[in-house]
Amino acid sequence: MSSVEPILSQYFHNKGCRLGLPVAGNFELTPRCNFNCKMCYVHLSKEEADRRGRELTADEWLGFAEAARSKGLLFLLLTGGEPLIRPDFKYIYTELRKMGIMVSINTNASMIDDDYFEFFKKDPPMRFNISLYGTSDDTYESLCGNRSFEKVLNNIKRLKGAGMAVKLNVLFGPSNVDDMDGIRRISEETGIPIKPTTYLYPPIRVSCDETGGNKARFSAKEAAYYDFVCDKERFEHEMFVKRTAALCRGIKSEVSDEECDGVPSEGIACRAGRSSFWMTWDGKMMPCGMMVEPVTYPLRDGFDAAWKELRAKTEEILMPAECKNCSVRHACHVCAASTYAETGRFDGKPQYICDMVHERVRYYKDEYKRLEESGDLERYASEVKPNEN
Amino acid sequence: MKIKNDYVLREIAGDHVLVPTGEAAAKYNGLFAVTEVGARIIELFSECETEEEIASKIFDEYDVDEETAKNDVHDFIESLKTQDILE
Repeated sequence: MSSVEPILSQYFHNKGCRLGLPVAGNFELTPRCNFNCKMCYVHLSKEEADRRGRELTADEWLGFAEAARSKGLLFLLLTGGEPLIRPDFKYIYTELRKMGIMVSINTNASMIDDDYFEFFKKDPPMRFNISLYGTSDDTYESLCGNRSFEKVLNNIKRLKGAGMAVKLNVLFGPSNVDDMDGIRRISEETGIPIKPTTYLYPPIRVSCDETGGNKARFSAKEAAYYDFVCDKERFEHEMFVKRTAALCRGIKSEVSDEECDGVPSEGIACRAGRSSFWMTWDGKMMPCGMMVEPVTYPLRDGFDAAWKELRAKTEEILMPAECKNCSVRHACHVCAASTYAETGRFDGKPQYICDMVHERVRYYKDEYKRLEESGDLERYASEVKPNEN
Repeated sequence: MKIKNDYVLREIAGDHVLVPTGEAAAKYNGLFAVTEVGARIIELFSECETEEEIASKIFDEYDVDEETAKNDVHDFIESLKTQDILE
């Protein structure tokens, strides 16, 4: 008997992809949120949500969970909107845990009152993924329309202090870039890992008019610069030197996004629609929450049929042909969701991402020269060799 | 013998895991991989009174000699005790 969850997680995902099992799922419990963030890809006004459909009931969610569980569901992310806004959240969570499902929660952490805190202490989730938007109430107000920073920070510290697993998801854009140092300090002081992102998807789920743009994001060049800065700050120097060497020698970085593991290729390369699925608040199934298609309908067709159809439709997705032979392919995290969000097609060349990646590589190449001159490249990365193929 | 109510034994495409929930999850945030025989031993807790009875069933059901069955059942139960998984 062993206790090596990350290895097991990877093992089950690989097995899921091979056998077509829904090992991981995402339940978007609601589009409602107590924040109103500029960059959000889900949040709808009550009127618009009512126009589009209805939220699934707790028992509908649990029915789908049971159906997915019987096919192999082990890891489930509860997300929103803000999932804790649902009055029946505790019931849903408790029943999912009784099924033996490893549950993670995406939250803005502003609604974790004493009652929620005591509830989670008794049966902690696998992880809280907390969106941290800045380091002051002013940034929160400008980005989220809500002065909740102090409350959020207290809750982050409280959860961590109680021994619960927490990760900070940070989306950087012009509105909060000045808070970058402060966020790094919070990560260092609390010992909580941070997942920074400077690439913001166009919010096409809110409106297809948003294809190719996001009013809250950087220019491609700025996004590349701050992405480089985030990498330099969040990794220990030796690791950063190794990553720089790898990237400049044509090797894909070994540190990747666990939810989006894969490389650009002709077909979809991540786990979406292969070993994981996303269910929207109104009961549609998609490979990933950033997509608007392919869509299947578990409410109408049942979970099994919807999952089978989703896998088949996902297999048909073709990525841009240009990406296959791109010189910086190893440094690029383009995916089916981002090509569609940027161009309205899965096989469209996403110029914003191309510009961002080429610029990012340029920063790394400049850094490579500096590290070569200082001797750190020889000291820490002499064994980082290019791939033969 | 019985595993604590906080643990859920799952079978996923031929693999077995113990999922901690409740207090068990507060103590350990992860999963325990269990072999097919380990999962069968856990199932046998509900129908057998003693370690010897479980070993006898394992001897009957698997291609294993009696001594190995006894040792393996004992080791597995000890490891459950060590991890505080048994009631």
